[in-house]
Amino acid sequence: MQARRHLDNFDWILFFAIAVVCAVGVGVIYSATTGTPMAGAFHRQLAWLGLGLLVMLLAIVIDYHTLAEFSYVFYALALVLLALTLAFGRVVNASKSWLGVGGFQFQPSEIAKGATILLLAAYLGRERAPSDRPGLGFVNFSSLCGIVGLPVFLVMMQPDLGTAVTFMPLLVGATFLAGIRFRTIVILALIVALALPLAWSHLKPYQKERVKIFLEPTRDPKGSGYQLIQSLIAVGSGGLLGKGFMAGTQGQLQFLPEQHTDFVFAVLAEERGFLGSLLMLALYFLIIYRCVITARAARDGLGVHLAMGVVCVFACQALLNIGVVVGLLPTTGVPLPLMSYGGSSLVNTLMSFGLVLNVWMRRLVN
Amino acid sequence: MYRASKDLQDYYEESRLNTRITVIQVLFGAVLVLYLMAFWYLQVVKADYYRKLSDNNRLRRVTLAPLRGLITDQAGRVLTNNRIAFNVRLDREKVADLKHRLPDLSRILGTSEAVLRERLAKARSRPRFEPVILKEDVDLAEAAYIESRRLELPELSVEVESRRNYLYGPLAAHLLGYVGEASEKDIKDHPELGYDLGEIIGKAGVERRYDVELKGVKGWKQAVVNSLGREIEEIDEGRRATPGHTLRLTLDLDLQRTLEQAYGDEAGSAVFLDPGSGAVLAMISRPAFDPNVFARRFSQDTWDAMDRDPRHPLQDRSSLSKFAPGSVFKVVMSIAALEEKVAGPERGDHCNGSWRFGDKVYQCWAIRKGGHGYLTMREAIIQSCNIYFYHLGNDMGIDRISKWAHLLGFGEPTHIDLPHETAGTVPDPEWKKVAVPSDPVWHPGETISVSIGQGAIEVTPLQMAVFASTIANGGSVYKPHLIRSIEVREGVEEENDQSMLVRTLHLNPRTLSVIKDAMWGVVNEDGTGVRAKIAGRDVCAKTGTAQVFKASRDVDADKLPKEKRDHAWFVGFAPRDKPEIAWAVFVQNGGHGGTTAAPIARAVLERYFQKQDAKVGAPQLASASAPR
Repeated sequence: MQARRHLDNFDWILFFAIAVVCAVGVGVIYSATTGTPMAGAFHRQLAWLGLGLLVMLLAIVIDYHTLAEFSYVFYALALVLLALTLAFGRVVNASKSWLGVGGFQFQPSEIAKGATILLLAAYLGRERAPSDRPGLGFVNFSSLCGIVGLPVFLVMMQPDLGTAVTFMPLLVGATFLAGIRFRTIVILALIVALALPLAWSHLKPYQKERVKIFLEPTRDPKGSGYQLIQSLIAVGSGGLLGKGFMAGTQGQLQFLPEQHTDFVFAVLAEERGFLGSLLMLALYFLIIYRCVITARAARDGLGVHLAMGVVCVFACQALLNIGVVVGLLPTTGVPLPLMSYGGSSLVNTLMSFGLVLNVWMRRLVN
Repeated sequence: MYRASKDLQDYYEESRLNTRITVIQVLFGAVLVLYLMAFWYLQVVKADYYRKLSDNNRLRRVTLAPLRGLITDQAGRVLTNNRIAFNVRLDREKVADLKHRLPDLSRILGTSEAVLRERLAKARSRPRFEPVILKEDVDLAEAAYIESRRLELPELSVEVESRRNYLYGPLAAHLLGYVGEASEKDIKDHPELGYDLGEIIGKAGVERRYDVELKGVKGWKQAVVNSLGREIEEIDEGRRATPGHTLRLTLDLDLQRTLEQAYGDEAGSAVFLDPGSGAVLAMISRPAFDPNVFARRFSQDTWDAMDRDPRHPLQDRSSLSKFAPGSVFKVVMSIAALEEKVAGPERGDHCNGSWRFGDKVYQCWAIRKGGHGYLTMREAIIQSCNIYFYHLGNDMGIDRISKWAHLLGFGEPTHIDLPHETAGTVPDPEWKKVAVPSDPVWHPGETISVSIGQGAIEVTPLQMAVFASTIANGGSVYKPHLIRSIEVREGVEEENDQSMLVRTLHLNPRTLSVIKDAMWGVVNEDGTGVRAKIAGRDVCAKTGTAQVFKASRDVDADKLPKEKRDHAWFVGFAPRDKPEIAWAVFVQNGGHGGTTAAPIARAVLERYFQKQDAKVGAPQLASASAPR
C-alpha cells in the first residue's frame, strides 16, 4: 500500500532526465574511444551504470531519515577508506586516489562525497531547540567546516586537488542556505586574516607552487593551451547540426585530449552540433530544476539540505567542466557528472540522485 | 529519531530559505544560459572558422615526388636516369624490446650494431609509427630475403624508392654533378624554387644548373591524419607528379669515354669544344668521384671524407681552378703583336739562352744548349722560345697584352652553363693596385714574366679551350655550353637556340694564317707537340709547361717530387683548314705539355675522326653532330 503510493509519487521526470544523460554519455564514450587504446571503456562504463542504478535503487527504497540516522557510520567508513587509500592506494598521475579490492578499482573520494552530503544534511536538518536563533553561529559553522574539511584534507593529501575542490560547493551552498550570523563572519574574517600569512610561511616551496597552480591553472602552460584550442576547434567545427555520430574528426583522430573524460562534452558538441549542445544543457538544467523543486517540496530540513547539497555538488561540477570545454574557464580536470567516463563518479552521482528521488517520494507527511 | 522540524520553523525562516533556494537556482540557470550563448557563438557564429581549423588539423597534404628528368649525350644515349632502390625499414611499433632485438637485426642485415643504433638515434624525435630506414639500397636478393620472411621478421619491411643513377659512375662527374637532400640553406637561398626540406635536388653541375628543368613538378594528395600525424586514409583529391624534362647534352659519350680512358690517373682537366658553336663535346676533371654515392641518404660521411681528401676530387678543375698558361700564352702574345702591328710575322730575334733586364736575368728553356739562335715569329712559337717573347712583351707593354688576353676570353667568366666558374686573372697595373696593396706598382719585370704565361696570369682549362676554338673559327668567341635540347613534352624537343656568340674579333686573315701555320708546325714539324700528330688530319696546337717550382728548369723533371713538377698544357684544334674540334688538355704536375698532355688529345682526336669517317659512310646520320 505504502509502496504503491511511493511509486505514484516517484519523480519520473528527474529519473528519465538522468537516464537520458547517462545513455548519451555512454554513446559519446563509445564514439570517442573506438579505435583507441581506451576502446574497452564503453563496456566498463555500461557495467558501472548497472551498478550505479542498483545503488540508486537502494538509496531510493530506504527512507532517507533512516539513512540520515546512519550518516555518521557512512561518514566514518568513508574516512577509513580515504585513510586506506593514502596507505595502500595505487598511484595514477602522481596522486594516490585509487583503491583496489581484487580486480575492482574505485575512488574512495567519490564515495566520501556522498557520505559528506548525507552527514551535512543530517547535521543541518537536526531537531533544534526552540530558543535557537536562526542562522549559523560560530560553533555551528566550525562543525560544518569540520565535516567537509576532514575528507577534503584526506583527498588533498593524495593529492587530488581537482576532486577536493568539488567538495567546496557543498560547504558554500549549505552555509548560504542555513544563513550565517554577522558576528560569525567577523570572527572568521579575523581568523583567516591572522592565520593565512602564518600558514603560508610554513608551507614548503613545492606546496606553495601547488597552491599557486591550483589558484591559477594557466601557470602550467604545458598542455593546457593545446587542450583549450583543440576543445574550441572541436566544439566550433561541430556547427549547427554536428558532424554525426562517430564522425567527429577532433575526437576520432585524437586531437582532443581526454576525449572520454574531461572533454566528453566537446566530443558531443562536435558530433551533435549546437542542437545537441542545446539539448544536453537543457537536460542538465532540467535535472537541476527538479532537484530544486524537490528541495522546496521537502517535508523537513533534512530533505531540503539533502536535495540542495546534491544539486550544488552536481551543478558546480557540471558547470566547471562545461566552462572549460567552451573556453570560459581554465583547464581544471573536473569530469562531467553522469557523462564522463569513470565508474566511481557515476555510481556516487546516481546514489546522490537516489537520495533526491527519495526526498521527493516521501515529501508528503502521512 | 527524526521528526518533522517544519513546525519549528516560523513563517519568516521558511520564506527566507525559499528565497535562498531561488537564488541558487537562478545562479545555476544563469551560468547555463551563458554557456548556451558560448555554444551559440562557437558553433553557429564562428562555425566556419573552426571548421577550417579542424580540417587543417585532420588533413595533411602529402607531396608526391616527381621522377627526375633523364640526362643523355648528344646522340640520346642515357647518362643519368633513375633506378629502383630497396631500403630495409624497421617498424618500431612492432618491436617490444629494441635493445634486445638489435644483435639479431645486426646479424640479419650484416650491419654493425653501432650503425643501427646511430640510425635509430637519429629517428628518435620522429613519431614512432614512422619506419626507420636501417639499411639503404640493398640488392634484390636481400630485399627478397626480407620480404619472404615477413612472418618471422614482422618488424622489417622493404621500401621501394626511386634513386638517381649515374650509369657510367665517375664519367663526366663534375659536369653532370650530383643530387642530394635540400638543406635549410638551399631553401633559404632559393625561395622561388619552393624546395621542401629533404627533397632531392641538384647539388652540383648540370643537375644543379638545370634543376628547374630536371626536377619536374611535384604532385600532391590529401590524407587524413590523426593527432600523431599517422595517415588514416587517403582522399581522392590531388594532382599527379609531372616528371622532369629530359636534357640532351652536347656531350659525345664516345669522346668522353675515350678521354676518361686516355687521361689515366693524372690530376687535371680537359675540354673539347665544337669551335663552330662552343658546344662541349667532352669535358673531364680529375681526380673524379662517383656521383652515385651522393644519391644515398647516408652520404654525409662520404662527403666529408671527399671534402678532406688532399687531392680534392670534388673540385671542378675545368672551370673552378686556375693555373698559369705557360707557353700557350705565347700564341696570345703573337696575336696581340700582329693585330697591334707591334711586329710582323717576319720579325726576327736572337736567342742565346738568357736575357738581362734590369737587375734580373731571364732565361730561355733552351739555355743548356746555348739558346735557339736566330728565329722568326713562326719559329719562336714552334720552338717555344722565351727570349723572343720577352723582347716582344717588353716592346708591346702590359696594357696591350692585357687588352688582347681579355678579348680572347681570359680574365672573365666563359658563362658556361654550370653553377660556378672562376674568371681567372689577367694582370695589369690597375689590377695590381687592387690585388697587391702591399706592392701596388707594376714593375716592368712583371710584363716579361706574363709574356711567357708566368707570373700573376692564371687561366682555367675551359678558357683555354674557348681560346683554341676562337683561333680555330677565325675570331668568334663563343660561350661554351652543355645543352643541345630539352624535351619539353613527350617526343617534343626544344633546341637550345640561344645565341652563344660572345663577340667577334675581326682578326686580320694574315694574323690567323700565321698563327695557325705556326701551331700546325708545333705538331707537324718536329716541334714540341709532335706526339699529337695524326697523318692527314693537320692537327694544330701549342704546348705549355707552367712552372710550379722555381728550380724546375734546371732539374730533370722525373727526379722532382710529383707536386713540384710543372703543369702540362696542350691546346689546339683540328683540322687546320676546316676546324671541327678544339681543345685544351691540362695535366696538373704533368711535366712537359708535349709529353703528357699531347697523347691524351691525340687519343680523343683519333676517336673523333674515326667517328667522322664512319658518318661519311652513312650521311643521313651526319647531321647529329655537325657544327651548327
